[in-house]
Amino acid sequence: MITFSDASVTYPGGVKALQHVDLEIGDGQMIVIVGLSGAGKSTLVRAINGLVPLTGGEVTVDGRSVTKSSAKEMRAIRSDVGMIFQGFNLVNRTSVINNVLMGRLYETPTWRTLLGRYPAEDVNFAMECLERVEIVEKAWVRASNLSGGQQQRVGIARALAQRPTIILADEPVASLDPPTSHVVMRDLKRINRELGITVIVNLHFLDLARQYGDRLIGLRDGELVFDGTGDEADEEVFESIYGRSLTADDVLGEPAPGEVA
Amino acid sequence: MTTVEAPPRSRTARPPKPRPGPTRYVAAAVIAAITYWAASETTGIGLVPQLSEVFVDGLSERTGQIVSDIFNPAFEDAPATGGPFLETLSMAVLGTLMGCFLALLVAFGSSLVTAGGLKRYRFTKGLMSLLRSVPDVLWALLFVAAIGTGALSGVLALVLFNIGVVAKLLSETIDAVDTKALEAADAAGAGLVQRARVAVFPQVLPNYLSFSLYAFELNVRASAILGIVGAGGIGVLLNLARNQFRYDRVSLIVVEIFVFVFLTELVSIALRRRLVR
Amino acid sequence: MTVTTTPATRSTGERRPTKPRFVLGPVLLGVVVVAAAWAWGTAEIDLARLLRAPERLVRTFGLMFLPPDLAEFPRSFPAMMESVQMAWLGTVLAAVLSLPLSLLAAVNVSGRFGSGATRQVLNAIRAFPELVLVILIVTIFGLGPVTGTLALGLHSIGTLGKLSSESVEAIDKGPLEAVDAVGGTWLQKMRWGVLPQAMPEIMAFWLYRFEVNIRASAVLGVVGAGGIGALLVDYLNYKEFARAGMAFIVVVGVTLVVDTISSAVRRRIIAGAPGRTDEPDEVEDVGTDALA
Repeated sequence: MITFSDASVTYPGGVKALQHVDLEIGDGQMIVIVGLSGAGKSTLVRAINGLVPLTGGEVTVDGRSVTKSSAKEMRAIRSDVGMIFQGFNLVNRTSVINNVLMGRLYETPTWRTLLGRYPAEDVNFAMECLERVEIVEKAWVRASNLSGGQQQRVGIARALAQRPTIILADEPVASLDPPTSHVVMRDLKRINRELGITVIVNLHFLDLARQYGDRLIGLRDGELVFDGTGDEADEEVFESIYGRSLTADDVLGEPAPGEVA
Repeated sequence: MTTVEAPPRSRTARPPKPRPGPTRYVAAAVIAAITYWAASETTGIGLVPQLSEVFVDGLSERTGQIVSDIFNPAFEDAPATGGPFLETLSMAVLGTLMGCFLALLVAFGSSLVTAGGLKRYRFTKGLMSLLRSVPDVLWALLFVAAIGTGALSGVLALVLFNIGVVAKLLSETIDAVDTKALEAADAAGAGLVQRARVAVFPQVLPNYLSFSLYAFELNVRASAILGIVGAGGIGVLLNLARNQFRYDRVSLIVVEIFVFVFLTELVSIALRRRLVR
Repeated sequence: MTVTTTPATRSTGERRPTKPRFVLGPVLLGVVVVAAAWAWGTAEIDLARLLRAPERLVRTFGLMFLPPDLAEFPRSFPAMMESVQMAWLGTVLAAVLSLPLSLLAAVNVSGRFGSGATRQVLNAIRAFPELVLVILIVTIFGLGPVTGTLALGLHSIGTLGKLSSESVEAIDKGPLEAVDAVGGTWLQKMRWGVLPQAMPEIMAFWLYRFEVNIRASAVLGVVGAGGIGALLVDYLNYKEFARAGMAFIVVVGVTLVVDTISSAVRRRIIAGAPGRTDEPDEVEDVGTDALA
């Protein structure tokens, strides 16, 4: 369970990224956050694992306050919250499996992580995570040799390796082509359904948002302006979230492979 | 909303862990071997025994006296060092000016872009490699032996040292130059020197100035010590103080050198930053 | 057929632009000329001596190299090897110690204050030429190659620290964020976020420093720090030019060889050779993946 209580973030320089947001996210939901660039989507998501600290209010994760944590407590919270990034954020010069094993960094003794000698059961588990995203055959390949879609799947496997209760995804498909985007979103949805992990995704593609999200949250200028299901969110609603009429850039446009539009 | 169909979980087999290649281990072994060869008592310099001798047995009384002298620089003698410092500075200036000018010529000859011929390129490149492999103090030694002590030897040493450093940097910049302007010059019928002057030089000028300033920095540092082998400047005083075991004076000169180098660097870095802009 | 030509002046009254005044050029030239004149005067370059110099140089070089004393080789070569050993150990020492310092000196790791302070310390160390360091260290450790090693190592810490910290500052911060996001410690962030990105360039700097140190070490013997420098000074002082010539050739030869090997290794490191990843460069595509 994630709660935002009167959460605000004002960046130095005066930009108000989040303004007095109150939000509750129950376990096992698949949430998609929509809004224009600069509306606060990324800030909201990064406030959950403390990558962006709040300047006002509080956010709690499973009863633990992110805002009031010490550095040590923060690391503990983060180990239960997986994150995937728009730029994948993989360590390019090392293998896929080593990237996935980074998900075990918190639980593994430091000396082992420095030497890269993880326990066999962790390596096994990392393989399972790779199998879940269907990319295990690349386990020993250097990360930079993979395509964008493959790298993002490695990112998902890394998040899974943390055995998280929550997975955050900050614009996970913005750098990918449409078919690959659908695959990634489908993987996230599957993880949500099969493993019961709460998944929170930032997207600016509205059709993807409606297709894959159980609950849509719309942000505008840092304020919560919509909170409802995909069915409730029609074009009018989106236009009010965006504050303008929709353009072709706002939708991915292509259906998932094997589906009819 | 269309339902999302999960594809069947693929049954790809897990790939086996590949055997690590030998490179890492070979490299580590080579490094360890060389380090052992270098440090051991029999084949090398005997690093460990000498270090432990000092750290375990401590310093002799005489050494203790010297060390305390070092920590008490003879500031009262500072005025006497003014003249030699000016000589040092002038050596650095002359060395830089002449050296960088000649380096320009060598650099143009060491780049395929401007050499105008493989033979000339190879010759100049070889010359440059040779020049670069001799340290500045070694040049100074040579010149002192050939033409006697004094600032002239120091300046000549710096000139040759400079050519090595700046020519290499400059030739690499010339290699990376945009060839479009060169094509235009060639098409207009320009000769070797003309095309270099017109098409290449303007492009590399900011870098050239930056390298020259860098060379000046190096020269200031070098000229302070060339005097130790007799090539003029403050190094001569330093050597004198050292031979007299007047370590308080040694310390004074060292402090002065430090300040001198530091200031030069600050100025040079500030100027270079404005050049690259 | 008449050809009409348009008049040079336009009806809009535009004038030809004036040539922009390139101020920098003349100013620079002026500075150079003044500096040269001052320096010439201060250094008291004896013109007569300068004119005699080429002839004397040629004479000396002739005595040194035509021919050099080949019988000298068995004495020069081991002395040069001692210089190489000094350079190697000094570089190893500096590499090990400069790595943590470079992390401290990097703005993206240590923040503005910490990195600023460390930077200044490194600059201070760099400002001492190696010869000066030898003169100081020799009072404690005595004459010999250990002093030379320490002098080289100490000075190199400054340079390597600065260059390595610049490498660290140039990395992509994405992987650093990833380590934060999984709850990693600072050490883990360095190991998995910083080092994989920065190490190739840093190792290239180590090798380059080794090349520079070879040159420096050949000379340190001049003030008693071991190596071939002492031999050279002796020979030149006693006018044994043929022997000095041989020693000189040994110095240049060994330096060139080390340079060549070192450059080749450096190129390989930067290109991302196997051994830079934790597992070796691997098998490319083993069949097609699930998504076309």
